[in-house]
Amino acid sequence: MQSFFSNKKAIAIFVLPSLLLFTIIVFYPLVQIFIKSFYDWNGLSSGTFIGIENYVRLFDDTTFRISIINGLIFAAFLTIYQIGLGTILAFAASNIKTKAGGFFRIVYFLPVVLSVTVVCQLWLSVFNAEYGLLNKIFEIFGMSFSQDWLSDGNTAIYVVAFVNAWHYLGYQFALILAGIKSIPGHYYEAAQIDGASPLQAHLRITLPMLAETYRFCLVLAITGGLNAFTQMFIMTGGGPGTATYSLTYMMYSSSFRAGEYGYGMAAASFLVIECLIATIVINKLMAREKIVY
Amino acid sequence: MKSKRLMATLLVVMMMTLAFVGCAPAENTEADAPKENVDTKEVKDEAITLRIYAQYSDDDTKVPYDYAAQELKKAYPNVTLELDIQGQDDGQKLQTYAATGNLPDIFQVGTAQIETFKESKNILVLDDYVKSTGFDKKLHASAENLLWNEDGHAYAFPYAGNELVLIYYNKELFEEHGVKVPETYEELKEAVAKFNAADIVPLSIFAKEKWITTALYDVFATRFDEGGIKKLDKGNGSAKEEAYVKAAEHLHELVKLGLLADGATNMNYDQAASLFYEGKAAMFINGQWEIQASTEKLGDKVDWMFYPVVSENPEAKYAFAGGGAPGGYAVSPYSEHKDLAAEVAAFISEKYCEAKYMYRANPLLAVKVDPSIEPVEKFPPMMEKLAKELPNITSTTAFAWGLTEPKFKVAIEDQSQILLTEGYSPEQFIEELEKTIERLK
Repeated sequence: MQSFFSNKKAIAIFVLPSLLLFTIIVFYPLVQIFIKSFYDWNGLSSGTFIGIENYVRLFDDTTFRISIINGLIFAAFLTIYQIGLGTILAFAASNIKTKAGGFFRIVYFLPVVLSVTVVCQLWLSVFNAEYGLLNKIFEIFGMSFSQDWLSDGNTAIYVVAFVNAWHYLGYQFALILAGIKSIPGHYYEAAQIDGASPLQAHLRITLPMLAETYRFCLVLAITGGLNAFTQMFIMTGGGPGTATYSLTYMMYSSSFRAGEYGYGMAAASFLVIECLIATIVINKLMAREKIVY
Repeated sequence: MKSKRLMATLLVVMMMTLAFVGCAPAENTEADAPKENVDTKEVKDEAITLRIYAQYSDDDTKVPYDYAAQELKKAYPNVTLELDIQGQDDGQKLQTYAATGNLPDIFQVGTAQIETFKESKNILVLDDYVKSTGFDKKLHASAENLLWNEDGHAYAFPYAGNELVLIYYNKELFEEHGVKVPETYEELKEAVAKFNAADIVPLSIFAKEKWITTALYDVFATRFDEGGIKKLDKGNGSAKEEAYVKAAEHLHELVKLGLLADGATNMNYDQAASLFYEGKAAMFINGQWEIQASTEKLGDKVDWMFYPVVSENPEAKYAFAGGGAPGGYAVSPYSEHKDLAAEVAAFISEKYCEAKYMYRANPLLAVKVDPSIEPVEKFPPMMEKLAKELPNITSTTAFAWGLTEPKFKVAIEDQSQILLTEGYSPEQFIEELEKTIERLK
């Protein structure tokens, strides 16, 4: 094994295919996005270099402002809902020692394996303003909370964010649960001997020990929120108007609907930078030291 | 050391190759294009397959295509069509085909995409084929605008005529609730109030699709200025003009009064149409192609109305929203059999018109239909009424897909949809629209 790792040729041969694939599929398009963001380009011709004009326009564009705010709302919603609820559910599941624990683990993870289209259609029916289940429940109980959930520019983004959060909650739950399971049991035994309750044990042992897991979960939730697209595309088409645009949706709309690929690439470049900054900040702030059990 | 260098060189070469491949412009150069086209006469007997990119999703698109394909087999027994179904994807698939040099031989195209494809030389100029196939002689005089682009060239063989936006209404519901069919804006407001009181949706609209929200705004715009949204698209007007401001204000006022169903901007066609067909909505807005479906569902209970006029411009009764723009079946300039493809495209467009006339009760066509051809079923009364009124129509505008400036199209689509929500103001609508118009100047 030692001699294998010292063989540079072998390493290069094994790394090369994935490196090439990464270059072709990720790195090269990423570079092209930045290059094309400086062009007035319709996606077919070679385009005209216009310097930073696309970026200047971005900052004067109401849709861009809406997209940024929506991305932040989405990211915040995912973080609070998925990591918050995921943690509670993971704590609960880790404490259940019977077969029911396995059942709950499957149930919590189930939505993740459903197709995004199915999930969106399901929630579209629930949130339908005329016949939706949610409004009907409010009606039955005589509550005045009925809303035009997806047609109201103020509520639509929260509904769309909720659907995404619900869909992928199980993924975050599984990550956190795996993190909990990897914490050695003798820590808890020691805490128990010292008279700590299960809640105290989780607060003092589990949470600090999960710092690295949370870092990963946070990166997933924040970047997932910032570049959300599919739910908007299926559920609202970015609407009403531009109310549920995200930066990714804006990129799509500018490129494919308006034929302004250069402008779309400028929005995409901003998104890449935004996600990169978020990842760096999270990495800086969380789990600076590697946790060793 | 040597192996390291070799590896590095290999990597650099691969990356450079990739970079150059990607940097190549998507438009094909003359060198790439076939220098000599295969002579049509030579290929008469040769079995040829032409790839065709066409809509094929509902009866309105499947019936004409199937009929045209069947007729093609008789006229061109050696030609086989390979159908590539068009997606409702804002033209992404076609754009990708063009960008990768993989355009189908024949493809359906709209006005905005013609402009993009023209610039990148991805669409064949059909001027000569229009004459050689006799298409120009078969074209209705009123459909010249559908064939000839503003630059004087033909890029696609049209089949649909100048179609219109119509407001359908349920006669029975109007009678039952003692509501007069509105002829003026004030009467429309009264109708909205009466239907709301009776728990009936005044106007059903599938506003999840943004073209119909654009059409609804256009209906109001034509009440004040017959140019409607087409005038703005052409850069001949400003959103701040009184006509467009008033149109937004009137529409928004009605929305606030409860013109539309709850969740209208999230309703698809099936949901909105079923409200109308089931008698839960009094009016329904769609193109004139809805005539057949509405007649099938509601029989003689349904009719269409003239758009209500406003007191400022009572003459606007015959100013209609909708209309046509260049579009139809285009041909790839890089097709191996481009002459034949152009001939087939013209043939298919003609046959589409026949099928629409015979099976879809639609006389609004681009091409004249052989007088010996009779519709399979008698035209519905609504179509008879429309045919009678057609000569009186003073102006038409354009559907969203007929707008020439894609940036304006996106802006008006997005803004007209959000205008249908109470939380958005006409001022915001005008400001955002004007911003786009200013940018395009």
